Formats: sequence, C-alpha cells, structure tokens
Amino acid sequence: MIQRSIHIICLLFCLTAYSQDLYSVKIKVVDKDTNTPLVGAHISINNKHTVTNTEGDFYFKNILAQEYTLSITHIGYKPYHTTIEIPLFAANIIAIEANQSVLEEVIVSGDTNQKRIQKSSLSKLEVKKDFLEQNRENSLMQTLKKIPGVSSISIGSGQSKPVIRGLGFNRVVVVENGIKHEAQQWATDHGLEIDQYNVEELEITKGASSLLYGSDAIAGVIAIKSGKLLAKNSFSGEVHLTGRSNNDLFGVSAGIKKRYDNWYYKARITHQNYGDYKVPTDQIYYENYVFNLHKNYLRNTAGQNYDISSSIGYVSDHFQSETIITNVNAKSGFFANAHGLEVRTSQIDYDANNRDIDLPHHKVNHLKIINNSKITLPDHTLILEVGYQNNHREEHSEPVPHGYMPTPSSTKERRFIKNTYSINVKDHIHAFDTHKIALGINAEYQNNTIGGWGFLIPEYNRLTIGAFAYDQYKITDSFYLEGGLRYDYGTVHTKPYYEWFDSPITNSDGTITQERRQRSSKTNLEFGSYSASVGISYLKKNSSYKLNLGKSFRIPLASELASDGVNYHMYRYEEGSIDLKPENSYQIDGELNATINNFEIQLNPFVNYFENYIYLNPTPAYYETLQRYQYTQSEVFRYGGELTALYTPSPAFSLSASLEYVYSKQLSGDKKNFTLPFSPPLSTIFSAKYNINSWWFFKKTSVFSDLRITAKQNDIVPPERPTDGFSLLNFGVQTETHLFSQKHPLQIQCSVNNVLDKKIFDHTSFYRLIQVPEPGRNVSISILQKF
Amino acid sequence: MILGNICSCSSDDEETDTEKPTITVNYAEGFPKSCTVLQKGNPYIIKVKAADNVALASYAIDIHHNFDHHTHDDQGAQCTLDPIKTPKSPMIFMENYPIKGEVKQYEITQSITIPEGIDAGDYHCQISVIDVTGWQSRTSIDIKIQ
Repeated sequence: MIQRSIHIICLLFCLTAYSQDLYSVKIKVVDKDTNTPLVGAHISINNKHTVTNTEGDFYFKNILAQEYTLSITHIGYKPYHTTIEIPLFAANIIAIEANQSVLEEVIVSGDTNQKRIQKSSLSKLEVKKDFLEQNRENSLMQTLKKIPGVSSISIGSGQSKPVIRGLGFNRVVVVENGIKHEAQQWATDHGLEIDQYNVEELEITKGASSLLYGSDAIAGVIAIKSGKLLAKNSFSGEVHLTGRSNNDLFGVSAGIKKRYDNWYYKARITHQNYGDYKVPTDQIYYENYVFNLHKNYLRNTAGQNYDISSSIGYVSDHFQSETIITNVNAKSGFFANAHGLEVRTSQIDYDANNRDIDLPHHKVNHLKIINNSKITLPDHTLILEVGYQNNHREEHSEPVPHGYMPTPSSTKERRFIKNTYSINVKDHIHAFDTHKIALGINAEYQNNTIGGWGFLIPEYNRLTIGAFAYDQYKITDSFYLEGGLRYDYGTVHTKPYYEWFDSPITNSDGTITQERRQRSSKTNLEFGSYSASVGISYLKKNSSYKLNLGKSFRIPLASELASDGVNYHMYRYEEGSIDLKPENSYQIDGELNATINNFEIQLNPFVNYFENYIYLNPTPAYYETLQRYQYTQSEVFRYGGELTALYTPSPAFSLSASLEYVYSKQLSGDKKNFTLPFSPPLSTIFSAKYNINSWWFFKKTSVFSDLRITAKQNDIVPPERPTDGFSLLNFGVQTETHLFSQKHPLQIQCSVNNVLDKKIFDHTSFYRLIQVPEPGRNVSISILQKF
Repeated sequence: MILGNICSCSSDDEETDTEKPTITVNYAEGFPKSCTVLQKGNPYIIKVKAADNVALASYAIDIHHNFDHHTHDDQGAQCTLDPIKTPKSPMIFMENYPIKGEVKQYEITQSITIPEGIDAGDYHCQISVIDVTGWQSRTSIDIKIQ
C-alpha cells in the first residue's frame, strides 16, 4: 500500500525526482528483558551493513523506499529477522531476545551484557564496578588480584603493578581511554598512578596482544574504559567513604555526571591518606640484621594521594567526542630500615608518628589529557584517540656517601620527567556481512629526562609507529575466525651522562687520574618488529572454545640498553647491553568453557616461548664491591593457565573456585634452567557468596568470604629466597539501606582481610626480598551514597 | 592432556643451584672482628672464610666511614660509636678479587695497610662473596681507625 502510494507520488513528479526519493532510517535496538540499548549489534538490510552505536541506535541513509529484509545479529542474542518497509511509520525500537543458552563469559562479575568478547579468540574478561566495589583494596592492582591469572608486584600497602601470568613491568600494557598509560613501568618501587575510584569498568586480555597495542603487550592488556553514557538530560553523583584499620586509611571519593541532550560532563575528586601499615610480627630478620618494629608498624610506609579528573563530551547520532583530563598526585614512604636492599640506620625518629612521611619516600604526579572521538559512517566507524601524558616522579632519601661519591647535597636521589604524546587512528569497517575489519595506525613519542644524584637510566627520546590490519570472519553464527598483522618501527635515542663527582681512573700507562666517569653514551638505535595473531572461536549451546596463536614483541627500554651505574636502591651495579634485540614472544592461548545446569567451568591454558627474553642477570662478578647485574637475552619457555569453576545452586548462593599456575624456565644463557624473577606460586581461591533477604531496614544484604591457598615457591633466581605457602582468609558483608533516599540506597560494606592475622610472605612483593611479611588483619568499611 | 604432555616433556633433571655462599669471621684467626681498633700506618691481614655448595667466584672488600652512623654491624655486637661528624679525608678502600679454581672452600687472606693522613673514626668493613651462579653473601663489621 505504502509502497504503491510512493510510486504514485513518484510518478507525479519527474523521473529524476524518483531517483532522489531517498529516506533515512533510525532504529534503536534494545534487550527484550531489560530494555537496555545494545551496543555493537550487527545490522543488515539487503546488502547494506552497519552496527549500533553507544546508544543502541543504527542508521541507514539514502535508501530507497521499498521493502527490505532487516537482520540483527548480536552475540548472546537470538538472530532477529524481519521485513521493514521504507519509509518507516512504525515505532523505531526493536527488542531482541537474549539467547540464554549462551554462556556468561564473565565469572567474576556475573555480568550478562558483554557477550562481544566471546567472539574474540583471545581470553578476555570484563570487570565491572560491583566487582571492584566488593574487592576494593588500597590500589587498583591489589583489587584485581582475585582474578585468576592476574597478580601484582607490590611495594608497601598502597602501590602495586599489574602482573599477568607471571609477567609484569613493561610486558603488560595498561590502557586508559584508549591511550597507553606511560609512567616508569620498569621500576619495582612504585605503583600504577591511576585513581581506582575513577574506574567503572575494565577489560583484561590475557595473551599476546601486540597486534592491537604494539610494543609491550606481551602478557596482556588491562584496558580501563570510560563508563556508560547517562540517559539524556539526567544527572547522577556519588560519594564514597572508606576507612581501613590496618594502615589507618581514610579515603573519600566524590563524582558527578551530567548529560544534556548532546553535551555531557563528568568530574571526580579522590583523596586517600594512610599511615604506616602493620605486620603480624615485631621483628624482621634480614640477612644478619634484626629490625625491631614499634607496635608492629612497618615504619615510614605511610602515604597519601590526591586525584582529580574531569571530562567533557559531545554525543550525537554520528559523532561522539570526549576530552578527559586526569591528574594523580601521590606521595608515600619506603620502609626505613632498608633503603631498597641496603640496611640503613637513621637519626630520624620514625616511631614518633605513624602518619608522617619521612625519608626515604617517593612522590609522583601523573597528568593526562586525552581526547577520544568517534565518527559513525554508514559502513565505517572512525576512531581517533589523542593523548598527552606528563609523569613526574622523584625519589628522596637521606644523602649518604658511597664509594667515591661524597655525601650528596640534597635528598633528591632520582627524578624522572617523562612526556608522552600518543595518537591512534582506527577504522572499523562493517560493510560486510561476514567480515569485521579494523585498520589502524598508532604513534607514540616519549621524552624522558632525569635528575638527582643517583644515576640509573639515561635520558632518552623514543618514537614508535605501527600499523595493523585485523579481520574477524564469521564462518557461521557460532564459528569465528580472526587474524591480523602489524608492523612497528621504533627509534631510541639515549643521551650521554657523566657522574657529578670524580673517581680515580687507572690509565694505560699506570698513572691514576681523577675523572668524572661517563655512565651512558649517546646512541641512536632503530628497531623494527612485526606482530601477528590468528585464532578461532567456536560457540556451542552449552560450551565455547577458543584458540589463539599470537606473536608479540617489546622494544628494549633505555634502561636495558644503556644503564651503567649503581642502583643504590637495590645495592647493585647495573649494566645495560646496547646490542639487545626486540623481545619476541610466541604464545598459544586456549579457552574452554562449559555449563551444565548451574555449574560452569572454564579452563584457560597457555604455552609461551620467548626467543630472547631480556633478563637482568646477576653475574658472579663485582664492580667497585657491588655485584654486577647485566641485561642479557635468553630463550624462555613458559606454560600454565587458570581453571575456574562456578556453582550456583540457587540465585541466593554461589560458590566458586579458581586455580592459577605458571611455570617458567630459561632455556639458554647464564641462568639456563632457572625461572624468571617474581614467579608467582601455584595458587587457588575458594569463594562463597550468600544473599540474605531483606532484614529489618537492610535490603539486598550479602555475605561473602574467600580463602586463598598458595603453595610454596621454590623456583627462584638470585637474590630471591624460597617463599613458604600460606592460606589467607577474607570475609565481608555488604548491604544497603534507604536512609537518605528511596531511589538511591546507602550501600555499606564491611570486610576483614587476613581474618586470622597470619604472618605470610608474598613471593611477588618487593618487600619480600627483605623478609617483610604481608599486612596483618585489616578491617575496612566503605559507604557509598549515590544521588 | 596437552598441558600434561608438555609438563612431562619439559621437566628434566637439570637442577639449579639455589644456595647462597656462606661467609664468616667467627673463628680464631678471623679478622677483623667487631669493634676492632686499627692503627693508621699499620699493615693488617683480613681473614674471612667463605664456602659454597657449588663453587665460589669472587669476593670484595669495602672499607668506608660510618661518621654519619648510616648503617650498622651485622655481627650482633654493639660497638660504641664516636659522635657524628663531617668527613674531610675519609679512607675509601674498594677492591674486587676473583676466586680462581672453582673451589668450594676459600679463606680470604688480604693484606691491607691503613694509610696515614686519613680521618680517624668509625668505619665499616664490608666483605662480600659471590658464587658461580650469582648468589651473594655479605657481612658488615664495625671497626675503628685511630
């Protein structure tokens, strides 16, 4: 009927008008049960294709008035087919039904929305805000430690770095709002410099990820994403208060979000202030020394941080752009009885106050300005991500003479200022029914300057440029093949450095002269490396299977190439090797997931081979009475994986168990047959959660507990010591009550970590090297009020 | 299954050395002992015993002042320290020596003459040893130079 009338109208006009009679279509796709918009659903009408945007909308422009076959496919949903007539007169919302037989990928958060990651052949998992809330620790990485395959290297109570399957530092990439987070990742003695309260959701990829992220993404990626958009013309906010008994922490974080029609803004401010943390011992035995602790306080481990972030964005049908400014400022002390590994005595009265930050300490400021823009075209989505980061870190310690170095005049031992400029351009092509193609270019420029009296890494400039192509090919609705190729080119220019004091140099004629020794020289190095990935993903009714083979790489760091000096913190002499090649890593990742009624099991094995792992080798030689450590490359073979099981006998009760294991072995070089530093031991976590019905004026109450059992780690490299196994019990309860508002309940959580106040050692803690145990019992209370 | 097979293929009997060497001055001829007073201009022989389960590789002797009381002895002794003072011309002795012949036992016997014209006061004598694998042991002894 309609069609005919259009024909008639067309006949009334001329022939050219007929061809100009084109229409636009805008339709929203939502979940049938929850009515929430579905992002990234694949749409086709006849031979035109598109995907839904962040609002769940899709558009077709310039289409002729006629009858079309509309198909909507979305992972985790039943395929939807219908015929529509253009122009469209009916309601422009289509609700599609979830396919309940498809498994929930996310075990930890229990989220049902994100099924997109099932199609990926790499093992990915989505971590949502409720998981972060329930498991909140002092820092983001400590919060994520409960996830199988993820651990952290910590120093003190407030700082830790991500580790995925035993690899950390520059072998894990952290991405925030599309831009690679660039701090001094190589160093052991500080944390991530990200406000964990500002994280709404993140995605963890375990496995070779250089294809999309370039250098460094060997072990995996932690991608922190900006949260979901608010509905039009709405406002929301929250205030979060935290208190912890072990380190007398108090924290406050407040955030607001506002959206108008197209414009929106977000802002957050976070402050945490904590004292020295307590360990369940009053004496620490390190080598032949005994440190007596005052009231179990690990002296001078107090700290504080002030974080602010704000963003402003614009969203319309075809264009979205957000500019985000974040600043993280932190200061924290280091355990005072040892400066790194060197035992120290001091005239400072550390025990007078458990909240002051004396020497040694570090302070850091990380500023980021990022813009993300997205243009949705009929067959393409163009993404542009631009970022500037300034990381300023200083380490202060009591000036002490060493060797030929006289007493320095200030406390500033090291200063690093790193500026990073990044740009990513990506084109997601969805013009084809069976192919999802992505093309992209990434470029990053770093400029690192140094200061202070201690020399560790030279000043350098580094440029990396890479391009990639990726395709996901849908063979059937349940069988996907994906693959891609990438090439990166990089340059590292190191600058010369001379010591600020004289040392005696023996000349060839036997005479001795006093000279300022050169610690690094000017070099211009170039690197080129390719990355590749190929994988399959097969989804069945009650099970899914993934297999991926990937090649990743890492360009050597300036410290690895050109270090030449005493690391006072580690009390050793470190020497770089200028002829290091980019690290090449080959990895096979698998995933097997099966559900039988209310029982779900997932296995994620991996096998990894490094052609030339860069390793700081402790040599059997001295340099000016300090042990000489030299960067070398060796073949490394690793395997391991994670096994998780989830049993949900009733909606109110769930039990889960997970196991993680990594084996690493050097196949060549001086440390042949040895493992790698900070190898995580075999570890299991058993968790239980029980939801209680409403009681008195408390609603949605749940109690949860987890028990971590870790095996002894005997697989060590110098200077590590074997670490005994342990079990650690945590307990918590969360509830909510409508105290201030009927719409937004007050959420209260109380948890107890290390319930039994056990003295345990974590093999991947920096302080483990000086025999410092993990924190004792800690009671934390957090309160969250949204408005 | 696949994982199990890889395990069995890659596990071999090549054991790694995970033991540190030992180092001691606690025997009759061991020198210097805690709180020993050395005289400027005099020669001394440092005697320290080192041992390792595989083989020793090198040792180092580092004598530096402790006028600022920056660290302390690990021999369990509490020596009386002079008041904190600013160094003018402190003694610096830093020497490394290889231990040849892949021996498991070695007695460090090192002659040293305390120079004239250096600052008198509290010093540390730190002796370190590394085995062929790269494991290090150290000992630090409080001494005085007069």
